[in-house]
Amino acid sequence: MIDQIKDLTNEIQSYAVSTKDELESFRLEFLSRNGRVQSMFKNLGSVPKEERGMVGKAMNEAKLLAQSKFDDLKSKLESSDQQVKAAIDDITLPAPEPIIGSLHPLTQTLAEMKNIFYRLGFTISDGPEVEDDFHNFTALNFPPNHPARDEQDTFFVRKSDDPNMMDLVLRTHTSPVQIRLMENTKPPIRSIMPGRVYRNEAVSPKSYFLFHQVEALYVDENVSVADLKETLITFVKLMYGSNVKYRLRPGFFPFTEPSLEMDIWWGSEKDGKWLEILGSGMVDPNVFKAAGVDPEKYTGFAWGMGVERISILKYGIDDIRTFYENDIRFLEQFN
Amino acid sequence: MKVSYNWLKEFIDLPLSPAETADKLTLIGLEEEESFEYGSSLPGVVVGEVLEAKQHPNADRLKVCQVNLGDETVQIVCGAPNVAAGQKVPVAKVGSTLPIKLDDGSFLKLKKAKLRGETSQGMICAEDELGLGTDHDGIMVLDENLTPGTPVSEIFDLYTDHIIDIAITPNRPDATCHLGVARDLAAALNLELKKPEVSLSKTVTESDDIKVSIENTEKCHRFVGKMIKGVEIKESPKWLQDKLMAIGSRPVNNVVDVTNYVMFELGQPLHAYDYDEIRGKEITVKDFETVVEFETLDHVKRKCAPGTLFICDGESPVGIAGVMGGLYSEVSDKTTNIFLEGAYFDPGTVRKTAKAETLQTDASYRFERGIDPNLQALAVERAAALIQQVAGGELSDDIIDIHPVKTEKRTLTLRKSYLNRLLGTNLSINEAIEIMDGLELEVVEKTEESVTYSIPTFRPDLEREVDLIEEVGRLYDYNKIEAPSHGIFVSTETFSPWELLMEQIRTIGVELGYREIYTNSLISEKEASHFGELDEMVTTLNPLTADMTTLRPSLLHGVLKAAAYNFNRQAGGIRFFETGNVFSQSQDFSYHEGIKEQTHVLFGLSGLRKKEHWTSKPVAYSIFDLKTDINAFFVKLGLGKSLSFKESDGKLDVFLRKNLLGTIESVSKELRKTYDIAQDVFVAEFSINAIHSALQKQKDFKYTSIPKFPPFDFDFAVIVDKTISAGTLMDAIKNKAGNNLQKLDIFDVFEGESIGSDKKSLAFRLNFIDPNKTLNIKEVEPIINRIVKALEKQFGAQLRG
Repeated sequence: MIDQIKDLTNEIQSYAVSTKDELESFRLEFLSRNGRVQSMFKNLGSVPKEERGMVGKAMNEAKLLAQSKFDDLKSKLESSDQQVKAAIDDITLPAPEPIIGSLHPLTQTLAEMKNIFYRLGFTISDGPEVEDDFHNFTALNFPPNHPARDEQDTFFVRKSDDPNMMDLVLRTHTSPVQIRLMENTKPPIRSIMPGRVYRNEAVSPKSYFLFHQVEALYVDENVSVADLKETLITFVKLMYGSNVKYRLRPGFFPFTEPSLEMDIWWGSEKDGKWLEILGSGMVDPNVFKAAGVDPEKYTGFAWGMGVERISILKYGIDDIRTFYENDIRFLEQFN
Repeated sequence: MKVSYNWLKEFIDLPLSPAETADKLTLIGLEEEESFEYGSSLPGVVVGEVLEAKQHPNADRLKVCQVNLGDETVQIVCGAPNVAAGQKVPVAKVGSTLPIKLDDGSFLKLKKAKLRGETSQGMICAEDELGLGTDHDGIMVLDENLTPGTPVSEIFDLYTDHIIDIAITPNRPDATCHLGVARDLAAALNLELKKPEVSLSKTVTESDDIKVSIENTEKCHRFVGKMIKGVEIKESPKWLQDKLMAIGSRPVNNVVDVTNYVMFELGQPLHAYDYDEIRGKEITVKDFETVVEFETLDHVKRKCAPGTLFICDGESPVGIAGVMGGLYSEVSDKTTNIFLEGAYFDPGTVRKTAKAETLQTDASYRFERGIDPNLQALAVERAAALIQQVAGGELSDDIIDIHPVKTEKRTLTLRKSYLNRLLGTNLSINEAIEIMDGLELEVVEKTEESVTYSIPTFRPDLEREVDLIEEVGRLYDYNKIEAPSHGIFVSTETFSPWELLMEQIRTIGVELGYREIYTNSLISEKEASHFGELDEMVTTLNPLTADMTTLRPSLLHGVLKAAAYNFNRQAGGIRFFETGNVFSQSQDFSYHEGIKEQTHVLFGLSGLRKKEHWTSKPVAYSIFDLKTDINAFFVKLGLGKSLSFKESDGKLDVFLRKNLLGTIESVSKELRKTYDIAQDVFVAEFSINAIHSALQKQKDFKYTSIPKFPPFDFDFAVIVDKTISAGTLMDAIKNKAGNNLQKLDIFDVFEGESIGSDKKSLAFRLNFIDPNKTLNIKEVEPIINRIVKALEKQFGAQLRG
């Protein structure tokens, strides 16, 4: 009896099924009411009592085997059924376009600069775009007849003959925020001031009547050109890599003395050139006086750079106006 | 300013090449902008003998020539009409370079070529092609006795130079001349400066030849004049022309050339008058209270503003002081007697006039920066001596010097302590003196701790101690100052809530899938007029063009412009946000009286939300897409719960408690039309200042425990007049629903004949939660009854069965 069950088990195991019809034959052969498994159980009565337990167990195993083989085959055949898919179940069909938000490249460039400044321990300050003559010019040591005050460079918003009414301009740089900061904060001061500035200039691929600047100010009791150098060098290394080649040279700004400009080497060793990337200097004593800081006690450095200029260099943009057209095909490149 | 390398070498024994000189100038603050070679010694250009000149078989205008170059005979195709056998001509051999600039900035290099099938090995040159003149009518024909193969550099006196164009910062008037640049180099390189020798004659204030007076001594501090009689006006000698041409100054005649030469050498602009044309034999420097009409040397008739300073003879103005002379009394071929002027004019006055007349000359460039107020006599004597050398004549024994305002040398003290504190150096006073040696600063007093200098008057920029420190810094070379290897370690301050909010808003914008745009904050008056009353806006008084007259009162213009720009370029949909400042005139001002400057954020949607795709038909944006995003925006800001909307004028005002934050709207058809936008545009604009102050009042966020009991939903629908807005009904429901109402939404909106054409049905879903117990219908029903009753009473609503 046991041998018969073994044979049956082997037959169940080796029975080949690859279609639904064959599965049905399998079911009829083994699992139907008159199938061989059921018939086998009918013989259990003729098994001697003492063997019945063992034989019964073997029969049960055979039955379970047949059932589970049937179930497996059934689900396998059903799932292979689905290989004939609906047209829209084709996963190679293109998906709808994702909705992607993005920051404007100028925000991205500014963010990169801000992050470096934050690592260098600078905080951030803000001020108005409409500024008075004092904060934009006088306090920054622009002499009364300085060319920058000319109408050709500065947008005036209010001009008044009343001596109590200050002229208002669209700020020509973010330096007025430095004055505001020094007026309100006792040194040490270590802050950057990014923002939009205006120049009354004709629009061309190289110039626009508004652009963005970041300036940095550090005022404390013993700040020197050496400290300025250290900060500038660290900045350009973090911005352009540790191998960046740079040089410092004298410059001129009304609000710093001495004034320095920094160039970095742009391009290959052979075909590259020096490119000016920022202006800097030691805060002029006259600026300190105007902002109520004692120049004998404190020294400080300030520096500034144009966000557009850095962005143009970084991405190889050839026309500054591109930044303000907001062509989606442009914005999409800065995801 | 163009600086000649040759010229510099007259003053210093320059050990540097032109390129090294340019680099050094940059490093001491006289930044090189451009360098180039002037002239050419024409290597590879030799005398050739045209043996034969035959017609080119394939070109009417070309000739095929056999040319003897001494050591070889080559074939050259030549297009000049005058080429003929037997001529001696200059030939640029293959491999030579001619001073002809190509488009890419390089110079023409001769290669072996084929012209219409005939080989050409070199080029027979015209005058201009060799840089020897301007003639291009034909090739140059040389002396027939010359030997073929002789380099042309042996025939012509060829002048070459290296020109360095430097940018001069406004604080360095001393560097606007060759001597000044040489002085800086001498100081930086420790060289000896050799100045031109000038002998000074006796100064007088009166002369028999001419009477000079200054009426406005504030604007003219000094006037020096000298007579030169019996000069012969002609072309300048070659050396003088070469030097001027090399730095881009066109030679005129010997006298005018000398005045220019001395200006470029010493920095003093000079003017030569035809003495015989000076009427009344008197010169007066004065200004007028009225507009003066005056024709300058450039043949422009000008209406000069009151206050313009003039040089006048006995009858009328003959020159605008410091800017440009007039036609009358100009030196001409017939001139024999000269009156030479060297003056000091107030920089501000000259600058103002030059600006007003938009006339910048070499003279005004120097005067407006501030020339040496003590240079005039020396420069006039130097020029007079040179004029005598190149034009003959006799110099007057004396020199007229009217000098009402004298500039004394100032003294300045440099402290070692401040020097080192500011530069971060450790220099001794002696080292500082050593570094500045060569600048012609005179040591008056010196201790271990400080040095006091007498400052020469050609350095008006050295006014304060820091200015001396800058001199030390730039001559020492900032690159040599040792910087600490790492920065100080600082404890940073916290970021202001404002800065954090700005960052957060931009981040949310991106998270919501919007692209950030930057748009103009200056727009035209016409554009601005769509966004409010023009007289409430802030305008610029002097815009360059009408496109930049008005500061934007809102961010709406920018997004509409950007939308139109993109739709014109086949964009399907736009999804933009911008943060930026907007301006208006208001007594509720921000920083400056009368001007309100606020920072706004704008979200804008237009066009297609979904393009045509196999998953969906094209779907256009709706105002509800925007409302969803705005809800999300405020939820992300932590203000979602306190928000309320109020309809006004078809727009949706967004309030936080009682404060108006901004507006959501669908842009009107009329406005869209002015921007040529066919698509619907939905925008939401908020004041970040208002959001900022709302957040200041907001309590810190605290976690609320998750409700332990299940919610209870109740749906009901009412029929109301179409004129009653859903928002109004929802407000009323919230009013009556009590504290357990968690959510209120509308899940169905229906209109149709069955309920009457002026009616609509709205189906509400109310979600209640009681934190303390499980709600059941018995508790909720009375609330619903209360609500329905209120709706019936207030709005005539009818409960739908």
